[in-house]
Amino acid sequence: MSAPSARTGYVTILRRDLLLAWRRRGEAAFPVLYALIVATLFPFALGPEGALLARIAAGVVLVTVLLAMLLALDGLFRPDVEDGSLEQLLLAPQPLGLLLAAKILAHWLTTALPLLLASPLLAAMLHLPVAVLPVLLVALALATPLMSLLGALVVALTVGTRRSGMLLALMLLPLMVPVVIFAAGAVSAAQQGLPFIAPLAWLGAALVLALVLAPAACAAALRIALDA
Amino acid sequence: MNPRPPPAVATLLEVRELAFARRDEPVFGPLDFDLESGEIGLVEGDNGSGKTTLLRILAGLLHASSGTVRVDGLAAGDPAAAGTALLLGHQLGLKADLSVRENLATAAGLYGRRERCGLDDTLVEVGLEGYADVPVRQLSAGQKKRAALARLRLLPARLWLLDEPFANLDRAGIALVNRLLDVQVASGGAALVTTHGAVSFRDQATRRIALS
Repeated sequence: MSAPSARTGYVTILRRDLLLAWRRRGEAAFPVLYALIVATLFPFALGPEGALLARIAAGVVLVTVLLAMLLALDGLFRPDVEDGSLEQLLLAPQPLGLLLAAKILAHWLTTALPLLLASPLLAAMLHLPVAVLPVLLVALALATPLMSLLGALVVALTVGTRRSGMLLALMLLPLMVPVVIFAAGAVSAAQQGLPFIAPLAWLGAALVLALVLAPAACAAALRIALDA
Repeated sequence: MNPRPPPAVATLLEVRELAFARRDEPVFGPLDFDLESGEIGLVEGDNGSGKTTLLRILAGLLHASSGTVRVDGLAAGDPAAAGTALLLGHQLGLKADLSVRENLATAAGLYGRRERCGLDDTLVEVGLEGYADVPVRQLSAGQKKRAALARLRLLPARLWLLDEPFANLDRAGIALVNRLLDVQVASGGAALVTTHGAVSFRDQATRRIALS
């Protein structure tokens, strides 16, 4: 009776969460629709002047995508807490951090990836110059996993509290300020024809750090949250 | 991972002066008891006497206020002890959108599987024949319970921590729980079962732990 390998555990959770998302695939469209509607509101509020929109486009897309992810984050651990499967996860003879990394990856794939795919459409709606689009996509590809990892940590900390949605926003969004600065900085540098590698490299470094630390921190936070 | 051969009689659970207080309000304890392989412990107490809390402490989910718990010789919550104990709580830990088969495969992927224990045979044993591919959402409360019992049968845990296993079950289901407990005891495992005393329990219960 030896326990399955950590790899088996990781794949098991990844497959389970992807399968669950597939069973409720309609819900995957919600964050995308939300981002689409929010991005549509800006031209109405500011007027359809192309030059103005082009200047703010990257920032609007970035913030909209992050806010859409924020709405979906609450679903990361809450269903598992409610049906008791999180307890089974905690008690399994597996490294909890690794299982949570699988959950976070599945969550990123099912919420952030659709947003990433929709972001060229959002950018086009806001007259972002096509030449800058690749930089925006790279910035988003680095910023969204950071949002998922930091978000998972905050969700784990607040999972024991009721009505944690607002608390989640208040705790997580300040943490995202540096991410927004570097991601938006890269795009605006590219827009002005300046070098944009440095801010992207900073995002990449932060992502590596979060990849290593966040799942383990998340595991500790969940153990504390359930110990009440 | 750690192929320790199970000794003939092992003390699977060792509880010493275990007490729990919620906001300085004592809930139970101090408790002292052992549970050896081949034994079934019956935790008795009224609603609110801390039966669920006790099981959560023994599983390592909750910290006791004082006292020690050792599972198979290791401190509760020690990663090396993980997987020895299996908790069946009020929340069954089943995903409503997944089928019975997918739920059990997930559990086996995390905890491993008992030797010579096929999924389909197990489903027959717990009376869920033909329900393997039905989403758990569509099962009745009793059938969900049976699906969770199938997990007990399938996973290799030597110590079962069962919180009100008889709830929601019909007569045949109660007999099923007793049969599963028999198999567990015969294979050198042990189980700790909570009940508020409404169910006429098998007379083999070898140890009674009263919470007041």
